[in-house]
Amino acid sequence: MKQILWTGGLIVALAGAAAPALAHHSLQSEYDINQSITLKGTVTKVDWVNPHVYVYLDVKDDKGAVTKWAVTTLPPGNLRRGGLTRDLLGYGEAVSILAFRARDGANLAFLRTITFADGHKLEIWLGDATKENP
Amino acid sequence: MTKHLIVAGVALLLVASPVLAQRGRAGGAGADANAAAAAKPTPRAADGRPDMTGVWGGAAEPVKALAAGESTRILFPVRTGPDDKRIFDEMDRAAKERQAAEPNKPPYKPELMEKVQLLSDKRQFNDPSFYCKPLGVPRMGPPSQIVQTPGLVVLLYQGRNTFRTIPTDGRPHHPDADWTWNGDSVGRWEGEMFVIDTTKLVEDSWLGADGWFHSNKMHVVERLSRKGDTLTWNATVEDPGVFTKPWEMTPRTVRLNPNPKALLEEDPPCLEQDGPHIVTDDHH
Repeated sequence: MKQILWTGGLIVALAGAAAPALAHHSLQSEYDINQSITLKGTVTKVDWVNPHVYVYLDVKDDKGAVTKWAVTTLPPGNLRRGGLTRDLLGYGEAVSILAFRARDGANLAFLRTITFADGHKLEIWLGDATKENP
Repeated sequence: MTKHLIVAGVALLLVASPVLAQRGRAGGAGADANAAAAAKPTPRAADGRPDMTGVWGGAAEPVKALAAGESTRILFPVRTGPDDKRIFDEMDRAAKERQAAEPNKPPYKPELMEKVQLLSDKRQFNDPSFYCKPLGVPRMGPPSQIVQTPGLVVLLYQGRNTFRTIPTDGRPHHPDADWTWNGDSVGRWEGEMFVIDTTKLVEDSWLGADGWFHSNKMHVVERLSRKGDTLTWNATVEDPGVFTKPWEMTPRTVRLNPNPKALLEEDPPCLEQDGPHIVTDDHH
């Protein structure tokens, strides 16, 4: 049961569909939409780079073993125009991330939502909000 | 499965690139906006030529940063719902439809069409821009900012923090210029039109993502014309190594940034990390 509550904040639709930075690879070729994963951990690094921003996190299991994950998202220009800056992506903070795993089995995933300890969320995703729940 | 989506906010339409500033915001009203901008007076430099100085397109639009702790939702436009499991496929499909509908394709020699198709099919591994190489002239299109001085026109491109210096003092091409991604350029005025002649372009760049390669025989003539608060860019590409005739690229018109204090922002560095994880030939 997934429940996303948006009680504040704003929605930003990025215009156009062919930003130079997004003339990058196909998401389909790298990530599996059917393999969603929730990663709970601490953000250890934010790479604010083209063509995709990367968030790295340490995920601890029940026994305290740490697994390192990389989660990637849209280009920095898209995030910037959506009002995000690199310091808003949770460096050093405990977060829960919903993402979609890389097809090759690496500890790599494509971001959908970051939820922070205080409950605020950043959803950085794709689609037409007028076509929710098709 | 229930999902509640309560958006208490304002839907903003923002732009992602100088080019998109026109196409995106345009969305139907773009032609009107361009016509209105073109109807404004054209400023003149001291020599009487049109003064192209200014920030062009939306690259320098001010962005209000979110406050710490503020939620947001940023959606890159794909024409299906955010929860549609076909959304990655749909992104590729839409891009392919746009490419197929593109009426203005380079006039490759027939014997090279197979190579173009092969490069296009494997673009994820072949397109130099995917791997942080420059777009180069002419793929980079119109500049984000122009600084026009007597004897020199400086073109600035926000993408990849790129600059070009175009001498207008009548000098010929530099005889010892090395081969580069932006080539060796000289500029001249033909009436109201600023003409940039570029040679010595490395063959590593592409002209578009659809496998559009070129040879080192490429010669590019770009034309910039300011009319009111619009700047129209077009380019003629000659490449006897691969084309049957010169190719006129599709012109682009950008509008002057309405903020006279607009400044370009530094583009973050490019660090490609996805290539090793690409496992299929799916592409945009």
